[in-house]
Amino acid sequence: MKVRTIARSTFGSFLHNKVIFMLCLIFVCNFLIGLYSVLKFKSMTTASNAQQMQSLMLDDVGRVMWLLSGLGSLLAAWAAADSVAGEMKSGTILAVMARPLRRWQFLTGKYLGVLMLMSFYVFGMLGVMFLLTWLGGQPFHTPWWVLLVYPLERYAIWAAISMFLVTLLNPVVVMGIVAVLLSLIRFLEAASALSDIPGWVRLPMHTVLPLTGVVLGEDRFLTMTQAALKRYPWTDHVTALAYGLDYALVCFLLAIAMFQYRSLSRD
Amino acid sequence: MAAPAIEFCNLTKTYQRRFAGVRVPALSEISFQVARGEVCAFLGPNGAGKTTSMSILMGFICADRGRSRVLGYAPGDVRAKERIGFLPENFAFYRHLDAEKLLQFHLRLSGRQVANPNALISGLLAKVKLDGFKGLRIGKYSRGMVQRLGIAQALLGNPELLVLDEPTSGLDPAGRKEVRDLILALKAEGKTVFLSSHILSEAEQICDRVIIINRGRLVRTGGMQEMLAESNRVEIVVDQLPDGLEQTVKELGASVDREANRVRIAADAVNKRTLAEMLWAGGCNVLSLTPMKNSLEEMFLKLVGGGGTE
Repeated sequence: MKVRTIARSTFGSFLHNKVIFMLCLIFVCNFLIGLYSVLKFKSMTTASNAQQMQSLMLDDVGRVMWLLSGLGSLLAAWAAADSVAGEMKSGTILAVMARPLRRWQFLTGKYLGVLMLMSFYVFGMLGVMFLLTWLGGQPFHTPWWVLLVYPLERYAIWAAISMFLVTLLNPVVVMGIVAVLLSLIRFLEAASALSDIPGWVRLPMHTVLPLTGVVLGEDRFLTMTQAALKRYPWTDHVTALAYGLDYALVCFLLAIAMFQYRSLSRD
Repeated sequence: MAAPAIEFCNLTKTYQRRFAGVRVPALSEISFQVARGEVCAFLGPNGAGKTTSMSILMGFICADRGRSRVLGYAPGDVRAKERIGFLPENFAFYRHLDAEKLLQFHLRLSGRQVANPNALISGLLAKVKLDGFKGLRIGKYSRGMVQRLGIAQALLGNPELLVLDEPTSGLDPAGRKEVRDLILALKAEGKTVFLSSHILSEAEQICDRVIIINRGRLVRTGGMQEMLAESNRVEIVVDQLPDGLEQTVKELGASVDREANRVRIAADAVNKRTLAEMLWAGGCNVLSLTPMKNSLEEMFLKLVGGGGTE
C-alpha cells in the first residue's frame, strides 16, 4: 500500500516535470522524422523498385527506433536518479520519511514509479513502430510482447543502475557515467570490436556491464519478421529475460543497501 | 514507568567531507531526556547542532557514537514513526499537488485508518486556516501558508510526539499566536512537543522545559520556570524616592525607574537587605520586594555568549 502510494506519487511528479516534457518533444520529433522518411519512400516506390524501397524504409524506421530506444535508456536513468536525488535536494523526502515508511519501501516505490513511466514510453514506442510500418505498407510480424518486454527490461536495468549510483553520487555525475556506459556498450556490441578486445578484458566487461544487445540478444528478437523469431526457442527468451531481471535486481538491491544508511539531509 | 519520549545519551556526530578530509564536529557527547507530556524547547545559535539532533531523532542520519531512543525505540523505527508528527525546517512539498491531495498522500503513508479521511483532512485544513485554499496548487502558496500546511501534515497521524523544527517560521503574528495556542492545546491533550524556535519569547510562553546547545555541546537543560527563577537580582518597589537617597541607591549598583506613583529599584540580591533597610529608614514606603526573573532571551545570550539565535 505504502509502496504503491510512493510509486503513484513518483509517476505523478514525472507528469509535471519539465525535463520529461522536453524528452516527450524529442520523442515526437523522432516520430515525425520517421514519418517523413516512410512517406517519402512510399511516394518513391514503383513496381520495379519496391524491394529496394522497402529495404531503405526499414533501415530508416530501424534508425528511428534505435534513437527512441536509446532515448528511453537515458530517460530511465535520468528519471530514476532524479526521483531520489530531487526529493533529497528539495527536502520533500524529510516529511515523507518521517512517516512510518521503511527506506526500502521508499526506494521500491520510486523504482516502480520509474517503471510505470517507462511502461508508457515502451507503449509509445510500440505505437510508433506499428504506425510507421502500417503507413509504410509493411507487414508487422514480431509478437507485441517481445517489443514490450525486452525494452522494458532494458530500462529496468538502467533505472536500477542509476538508482544505485545516485545513492553514492551527484545525479549529474550519475548521468555522465550512464552516458559513458551506454557509449561503451554500443562500442562493445559491435562484433568487430569484441573480437579485438582481449579475453581478460572482455570477460569482466560481460559480467559487469549490462550488455543487453549481446547477452540479452535483444537485437535478435527485435527483428521484424516472424521467421527470425521462430529460430529461437522459448528457452532462449527465458534465459535472456532472466539475465536482465537478475542484473536489474542485483543493482536495485545494491541501491537499497547503500540507501539504508545514507544521510537524507539536504546537505 | 514509561520510557522518556526522547532520550539522547552521549550522542556524538561528526560530518566528514569526502575527498577533502575535513571533519566538522556537529554534536559532542550530548545527553538529555524529554519526558512524555512535556513541551520542550530545543535552543541554540546557528550551527549549534539542533537540526542534526532532530535528523538523528527522526532517523535521517546516524550518530557516530552514543545511544538515542524515541518513544522507547531506535530512531527511524517505524513503530516510533507511527506515533511521531514531524515538521521539518523549511517544509518542502510537491508543488503540483493541492493541500488536500498532499494530506491524502501523507495519510496513506501514515497507515492511519480513519472512517472518513476527507472529514479529517478538511478539519485539519480548517484548524490551520487553509480551508479556503483547498483547490489551489501548493506551488502558489505563500511561505506562511506552506508552513501552516506543514503543521497540518505533522498533526495528520494523531501523533503522540510532535517534533517541530521552527514551527512559527514564516508566520505572521496572528499565525504565530495560533500555533502557540495549538501547541498549548496539544499539551493539554497530553502530547509531547519537542520544538526548536528562534523566537525565545514564544518558547518562554509555551514550554515546560528548555535544552540549550551550543557548538554541538549541551550548555543547559532544565525546567523553564526553575531556570528563569534563577536570578541574582531583586526588584524593590517604593512609593517615593527622595533625590538624595537615589544617589546612595545607585552607588550600591541599583537602577532606578520612576513611574507616576511608584519607583522601581532593581538591585543585586546580595544588597537587598541593606537597600530595604536604607529605604525604610529614609522614609520610603516599601510596597514590595520580589526576586526578578530572567527572561529566556537574557539567559540564552548569557549562556551562548551573545551569538544570536537561529
